[in-house]
Amino acid sequence: MRILLLVCFLAGAGTGRAWAEPTLYEQLGGHDGLWRIVDRALTLYFTDPRLHDDFDNINRDWLQPRFFAYFCKVADGPCVYKGRSMAASHKGLHIDQARFNAVVEDLQRAMDDNFVPFRMQNRLLARLAPMERAIVTR
Amino acid sequence: MSRDKASARRRLAIRAALVTAIILPLAALDASGVVVEQLNRAFTKSQVTILKGGIIRFSNVDEFDHEVYVDSPNFNYDSYEQSPGETAVVTFTDAGSFEVRCHIHPKMHMHVDVVDH
Amino acid sequence: MALVLNTLCWTVCGSALAQGSGRLLATSGISDVEGAGGGGLVPWAVVTGYGTDDQIGANLHATIAGEPDFLLTSLGAGIGFYDRIELSYAHEWLDTGHAGARLGLGQGYQFHLDVAGAKLKLFGDAVYDQDTLLPQISIGTEFKAADRHAVLDAIGAKSPDGVDFYAAATKLFLSESLLLDATLRFTKANQFGLLGFGGDRSDSYQPEFEASAALLLSRRLAVGAEVRTKPDNLGFAREGPAFDAFVAYFIDKHVSATLAFLALGPVARQGDQNGVYFSVQSGF
Repeated sequence: MRILLLVCFLAGAGTGRAWAEPTLYEQLGGHDGLWRIVDRALTLYFTDPRLHDDFDNINRDWLQPRFFAYFCKVADGPCVYKGRSMAASHKGLHIDQARFNAVVEDLQRAMDDNFVPFRMQNRLLARLAPMERAIVTR
Repeated sequence: MSRDKASARRRLAIRAALVTAIILPLAALDASGVVVEQLNRAFTKSQVTILKGGIIRFSNVDEFDHEVYVDSPNFNYDSYEQSPGETAVVTFTDAGSFEVRCHIHPKMHMHVDVVDH
Repeated sequence: MALVLNTLCWTVCGSALAQGSGRLLATSGISDVEGAGGGGLVPWAVVTGYGTDDQIGANLHATIAGEPDFLLTSLGAGIGFYDRIELSYAHEWLDTGHAGARLGLGQGYQFHLDVAGAKLKLFGDAVYDQDTLLPQISIGTEFKAADRHAVLDAIGAKSPDGVDFYAAATKLFLSESLLLDATLRFTKANQFGLLGFGGDRSDSYQPEFEASAALLLSRRLAVGAEVRTKPDNLGFAREGPAFDAFVAYFIDKHVSATLAFLALGPVARQGDQNGVYFSVQSGF
């Protein structure tokens, strides 16, 4: 019995994370799952009339990988985000609370469209919510 | 004989004057470099003419990044990440017509005509 | 409906720019029976309506609570200015039904209460501050005026008018999909003020504790419970805490409906009042 337990322990130690809880990134579907969510969210941003002025003159091919990298990092994924801070990257864009919330609502819709369970959605939003302070200029 | 010489001298003078009138201003431009600002997600000039070898300085006066580039068969340039306040200095080594754009803001567009000496 | 509300806002706000319902669905709660933004019984620190810090929002409520011996109705409106100040008004009717006859007042005798409220958000944000335990904190006051002065006097109430003061702390724990509120109220009100203020047992301000807990089940649906303790000033009509367990459905940012089991405790000597509460609310 003790030998069996030892073998199990070593096997677990070997994989390094046999008992670890999946990260939010993994629960959202890992790379492909998160990419689908970000892709859908950006499609919504670029077509949302409330956000027209914000996304009118932005290159989606430039923005999307940066969005993905940031969300990946926020969800404890294996990404390195090399972009600017939220405050620096949104400075001068005059984003108000209503437009910040429109982005949140479109993200919620993108997660709905990808069948992310409601409570899991809120776990991601909980990590993103404090960004409001940095992004919204008063 | 003297009339031919006089008219030849006159033609030379006229040609010299014309060349000076065109070249000197271009040379003056060339010496300081043209400055174009990136403001409100647009270039402050829509078209610039410079001499071959001339310089255009792109000054980012917006509060966010830009990324100036030229993509053509015989001349390429990329400023990469251009922070607010940063100036990208571009030397146009080839004659021709070029479109200057921004990787981040696709509606930003400026036309550059580079002329030979 | 949205067009009507938009027109209403034009009139109230004077500008379409100030209206936009920018806040997230359900995050401003509903209007309580006294017209304040919050739960059904308890005022929260959130400002009513869906206006962001550059917008004006509002909410109208129509609430009815059917108890074994009484019918409580409330109609009112609240306006939220720039997610900072809330002004509200509610009119409440307490219909005594058969109890009126038993009390010697007459069948279906009604008590009325006017409530004018003001709330000021002090600091914090219940929704955005997910990286701290600090709640959103607001203070508020409610000016209440009951009618039936003679009856109130006869049952021992010291005054038909009174002012409540409260402080509320509200926080949405988004990662748990849970909203919690704790409110402290200083009041002399008998049955929310419907039976006057102060009494033979006590005529001083009492601190009363109120709380709400709401679990978000989906973007539109929340379930929860509330408790509201009350003073017990009248020897004639003893009072206890009120409880409710609710289901709130937010159809969109313009309409919500709430159904609750409401236990008011004893009211005017008629025994524990356990019944049903229903509210329909509309705003922007």
